[in-house]
Amino acid sequence: MTNLQGQDNASSIVQKVPITCPHDCGGQCLMWAHVKDGVIVRIESEPGDEPPARACARGLASRKRVYAPDRIKYTMKRVGERGEGKFERISWDEALDKIAAEMKRIKAQYGPGAFVNLQYAGEPLGSFQGIAVGRLMNMFGGNVQHWGGASLEGKYWAALATFGDRWAALGSGDARSARLLILWGRNPAITRGGNNPEGDSNPFFLSQAKEAGTRIVCIDPRYTETVALYADQWVPIIPGTDTAMLIAMAYVIINENLQDQKFLDEYTVGFDKFKEYVLGKEDGIPKTPAWAEVITSVPAATITGLAREYATTKTAMLIDGWGPGRTAYGEQYFRAAYTLKAMTSNISPSEMTVRARPFRGAGYLFSKGKNPFDFDPQAPADVGQSLDPALKNRRRVVQGNLYDAMMRGKDGGYPSDIKMAWVNGGNTLNQFANTNKGVKAFKQLDFIVVTEQFMTPTAKFADILLPATTHLERSGVYTGGGRLFYSEKAIEPLFEAKSDFQICAALAPRLGIENYDGGKTEEELLKDYLTSPDMKKWITDYDAFKKRGVWEWSASQPQAGKVVLPTSSGKIEIYSQKVADLKNPEIPPIPKYMETWENRNDPLTKKYPLQLITSHFRLRAHSVFDNVAWLKDLEPQRVWVNTADARSRGIQDGDLVRVFNDRGVVLIPAYVTERIMPGVVNLCEGAWYNPDKDGVDRGGCPNVLTKDKNSPAGAWCTHTSLVQVVKV
Amino acid sequence: MQMAFYFDQTRCTGCSACLIACKEWYDMKSGPAYRRIVVRIEKDKYPNPYLAYLTIACLHCERPACAAACPTNAIVKREEDGVTVVNKDLCLGKDNCATFCKEACPYGIPDFGEEENAKMQMCNFCLDQLAENKNPICVDACPSHALDAGPLNLLAAKYGQTRQAEGFVYSEETMPSIIFKPKLR
Repeated sequence: MTNLQGQDNASSIVQKVPITCPHDCGGQCLMWAHVKDGVIVRIESEPGDEPPARACARGLASRKRVYAPDRIKYTMKRVGERGEGKFERISWDEALDKIAAEMKRIKAQYGPGAFVNLQYAGEPLGSFQGIAVGRLMNMFGGNVQHWGGASLEGKYWAALATFGDRWAALGSGDARSARLLILWGRNPAITRGGNNPEGDSNPFFLSQAKEAGTRIVCIDPRYTETVALYADQWVPIIPGTDTAMLIAMAYVIINENLQDQKFLDEYTVGFDKFKEYVLGKEDGIPKTPAWAEVITSVPAATITGLAREYATTKTAMLIDGWGPGRTAYGEQYFRAAYTLKAMTSNISPSEMTVRARPFRGAGYLFSKGKNPFDFDPQAPADVGQSLDPALKNRRRVVQGNLYDAMMRGKDGGYPSDIKMAWVNGGNTLNQFANTNKGVKAFKQLDFIVVTEQFMTPTAKFADILLPATTHLERSGVYTGGGRLFYSEKAIEPLFEAKSDFQICAALAPRLGIENYDGGKTEEELLKDYLTSPDMKKWITDYDAFKKRGVWEWSASQPQAGKVVLPTSSGKIEIYSQKVADLKNPEIPPIPKYMETWENRNDPLTKKYPLQLITSHFRLRAHSVFDNVAWLKDLEPQRVWVNTADARSRGIQDGDLVRVFNDRGVVLIPAYVTERIMPGVVNLCEGAWYNPDKDGVDRGGCPNVLTKDKNSPAGAWCTHTSLVQVVKV
Repeated sequence: MQMAFYFDQTRCTGCSACLIACKEWYDMKSGPAYRRIVVRIEKDKYPNPYLAYLTIACLHCERPACAAACPTNAIVKREEDGVTVVNKDLCLGKDNCATFCKEACPYGIPDFGEEENAKMQMCNFCLDQLAENKNPICVDACPSHALDAGPLNLLAAKYGQTRQAEGFVYSEETMPSIIFKPKLR
């Protein structure tokens, strides 16, 4: 440990150790763990202003997770039914022997496609943990991968179609540089609780922008904290219809000839085809503001006004939030937003190139290796960089179909029969759509391993349950915005907990895998990596980085002069020939509005008249922290119901209500409010599924109600479900 | 001198980092904290609702009603910085007292834990931090920089004289040491 800061009561030394969070809230903050005699006695937010990296309530409550009495302390085997949560302590050796025997049996009987690694967003951002199991499975012969992730698969597809790279178009720049800021489905006051470094969604930066006179418009079905604090104008919109409003804004701009034609001519292809669609020459329907008003409920005059303002203000920044993309046809929303930005030259091609950076996201410090099962002689080497979902589905499973694939396998047209799941850093049953179907699917598997810190709803389904370290029991390096964070091991692992890396390294020899860890510890690998010639470009002073806990690096500058994007045309593709070649009417080559399933015009509304959205909750990072009493004390899980909808149902604020559809039932108190538009209810994601004996969820997990189907091009659709709410 | 807080209601997202930072610093149990968040204030109708948050700790009033009400003089206002502190050795505890301090405070700040005969507890302006010329821990934890602390006259010079905010009424009787930037409609 470093940073000897001082003495506490003369006998014991308190050391301050830089830490951050690994939980994938979207931000990345800096904190200091005060460690005395091997115990963390305090966690302190980074008090400084530069760089602004102050933590939120969750990060500051981390000690309550590390030292929680309900930590999983030992390796265990299941003794009750799956889901019952009855376990018995066994030794690490017994657990690893059992896992090795089952993996060998399953591989021999069904081949490597029988394995699936459900690594997810619980604790994935560290240096190794996110890919430890994936690497092990790849070295053992492969596994069936899943694709179509929750956060922003629609955006990845849209960026690939428009700019030629999945990773393009992340981040819109510093909000403080804009005169007009349109926060579209973006709620950073809640989703970026800490003082995280992203310039376009740091709450402090938004305050500063507002105070400097930037006009801020928020488009959102809810009157969020972001709307309340920063917005000059709130535009409530029916969920799933954002694309229609964007396209109607394009109509106004075209109709009034406000587009930057010179920019379009020079840097884009396909604007004319989009224009034909917008003006109605393709389908006879001009996409006027009046057309969009009927669909979105946004008054035509509001759409017209905002379009004119966006087209004529410099600098105008449209921050396309990720929520509206988590709907059926969500990829079209991002495509439409990019097109609007291009029409008004509010983007430049150079900004859309993917610039060099140290590493991205999780687990990039050691190699996951090749996945033999993923190899497809007919597919490009990196099928992830394909616009064709059918191609991806040849060897992979889209996440919405995962439970169906588990239950039907090859007979259902999937690439393999899945027999074993290893869940690490995730709470799959809670966080993937259609929890009740997931429960059935999990019960059919041959073998389930879960690596966990707590008895989550998913952990209860493990056959072998392995105790995982928290991030404060190991060192790691994390990335957020333009910064790297060094999170130092503050304490030794508690109980019998091990990291994912250590678990896999111990299991590898039992599976006949050689050289899983290269003969090195995590600490050694971390140091090797951070001091490698490659990383020295970014981290010029390793010791200073370790001491300070945070390191600012600058992405390479945008290329000057003419830029060739990695699209077929080298330009921004408003029309994509590659997409046209797919010949899928649900995946059109230009951005189009298509009505979602389970929408307000669906006959299903007779039974289930309310649209459910499943927003983020500020006191959880997805499902992490739901078991921390400090945070639970602050705000209970409730379903948001508009006052008018509540009145017609005889529901008062705080009443217990039943939220249900054909997929499941949730029993939860109502939050009756004017802050959500009529016809829409909101149940925040991440609350732990807690079924009673009748299968009614009393924890408030929204995925009991969401539909397990991805959008045609892959977007995650947990904001596209119909429900009914009644008073109990 | 009178130490005071500043609260910018236009910046407060209600995130509760101030409250959790306080509980973490003082290693408190689940339940009350010295800093009290966060009242959510909701009013008016869709599509023009109003939402704001309010967070307060002990306001270290210029004329603390809690101190006047305490039967054992356990609550003392320090002359050097105007911070109101409680001497737990003198406090009778909640089982042996009618908690006059809590009743007297117009803001309900004095608090008692759940344990048997809990003594009164409240914000002491992080005196340890103050001794090192540092801000109270809640102030330096606020991601939106909505809190500040310092001598009342200096805060007033910096931020103005507004003593009310949405959800907060200034008590002429006790004279709480807080300056606001209120969130207007």
